[in-house]
Amino acid sequence: MQAMLSRTAAIARRVLRQVLRDRRFLALSIMAPLLIIFLLKVFFDSLESPFFKPTEFIIPVGAFVVHFITYVLCAIVLVRERTAHTLTRMFVNGYRPVEIIGGYVLAYTVLATVQALLVLTELSLLFDLGYSIGTLLSLYLVIWLLAVISIALGIFVSNFARNEGQVFPFIPLIILPSVFLSGLLISVDRLPTWAQWLGRVTPLFYANQVVQNLIKPGGALSDNWAVFAGLPIYGIVVLVLATRTLHEWD
Amino acid sequence: MMTPVDSSAAISARAATVDTPLPDDAIVIDGLHKQYGRIEALRGVSLNVRRGEIFGLLGANGAGKSTLIGVLVGSSRPSAGTATVLGLNPVSQARTLRHQVGFMPQAPALYEDLSPRDNIRFFGRAHGLDNLECRIDDILTFTNLRDREHDLVYGFSGGMKQRVSLACALVHRPALLLLDEPSAGIDPKLREAFWHHFRELASTGVTLLISTHQMDEALQCDRLAIMRNGVVLACDTPKNLLRGGRSVVRVWRDDQAEVQTITQYPEQLPLLLQRYGLDPAIRRIEIEEDTLETVVLDLIDARATPTTSEMEAGHAGDA
Repeated sequence: MQAMLSRTAAIARRVLRQVLRDRRFLALSIMAPLLIIFLLKVFFDSLESPFFKPTEFIIPVGAFVVHFITYVLCAIVLVRERTAHTLTRMFVNGYRPVEIIGGYVLAYTVLATVQALLVLTELSLLFDLGYSIGTLLSLYLVIWLLAVISIALGIFVSNFARNEGQVFPFIPLIILPSVFLSGLLISVDRLPTWAQWLGRVTPLFYANQVVQNLIKPGGALSDNWAVFAGLPIYGIVVLVLATRTLHEWD
Repeated sequence: MMTPVDSSAAISARAATVDTPLPDDAIVIDGLHKQYGRIEALRGVSLNVRRGEIFGLLGANGAGKSTLIGVLVGSSRPSAGTATVLGLNPVSQARTLRHQVGFMPQAPALYEDLSPRDNIRFFGRAHGLDNLECRIDDILTFTNLRDREHDLVYGFSGGMKQRVSLACALVHRPALLLLDEPSAGIDPKLREAFWHHFRELASTGVTLLISTHQMDEALQCDRLAIMRNGVVLACDTPKNLLRGGRSVVRVWRDDQAEVQTITQYPEQLPLLLQRYGLDPAIRRIEIEEDTLETVVLDLIDARATPTTSEMEAGHAGDA
């Protein structure tokens, strides 16, 4: 067990070192969500409609932006390892699938922690949300968990691609159901039953349910444990699937 | 006057008697098949590699060399047949085996945004080694990388990357080293340096299995298996394989050249020359031996007319 943890940490350290050296990747993963949210603010301000209250849905939109960017950036990571033959080399040297997945998730979680914090801070400041510290912490936890799940989901789908080109079909496969079936655009209650069930396959469904309840007056995480639990369970399922589908041999 | 000789039959016949498995062979392969869909990349490969020897896999692209190495390191599962590496099964005992085997793939397979030291450290950590930094120092010295150890691999030449790749394969001091075309694309000077390293390693008891399509490299191996389309055509020492080749002997009597073709010339040449006695008219004797390349081409010609599946296997063999 200790050896396994040590190897997982070795992968996390190596990935983190690479990420920190890749300024373009860092800029994309950190700055892109902030920029998109800023543009949304400019767009909403230009509408000037008294019936339109962006504060009601800007947190779910912010969560979606984090989910989308993190998922897309992580969907390529194992493919890069595969095409560079370093994945084979890792296996031949004794690294195991669970260590590789764990190492990657750990390393990118460091990034996601910063990313979620910056996004929530920007949302709060730009849109003058005025939430209590408790609500903000709860929202942070949800967005952070969603980011970690997005990492796991990205790595999971990258197991099925043999080259970078094969990753692209997987992006709309996950993102489009998230947009239409998670309650982001249309309330889940108004969707047909089959669509409601399909929506549960997306992590944004669980995140959105919790966020919607948290931003209501008096909303607290303690009243939403049942829905909130969907997020870590979803994450664990995706991690198990990612580990099981990463094969050491062809 | 030319004497036709079936050299490939002679080589194959001798190979069968030489390549008998021994109890402590580093690698024992028996009837190995590997199928990718309809394509058969390995078709009944059987061979044995002795401990401490430098064993070469010689063949053109698509011969099945990389596939065979992939099976031996456990990154590819055989469709049929068995392989034993250092007494272990590369499929069911892969975890134990991987700490005893060093593998250098055909592509450098390095993290180019890291330094040689970082790359070696990362792959070394997989083995849970004590004194890892000391081992890295040793291996950087061994592969002449000390002066570039902190530079990013990204800016390295192909040869330098191959050196780093070799260092990564050696950091855990494996008992068996599997090298897939280690000197492909590197200059002759560096190739010679590589072979110096290989001989040094072999002298310490490390077994090396090296795939190549370079004839000069093949000649430096202790033993050699010639592969084509997933099949081992012959397996023997380079010297014996060459002996199975033809030698053209030109005997100049006065101004007339008599041309004779023989095999295994160390034995046959005296017999041939006895015919001439001590004839003072003989002024010159020329002996032109087959090169290893000619021997290999003869072997391939002897098994010419490949089937459709052979040709397809040839395309997938090194996948």
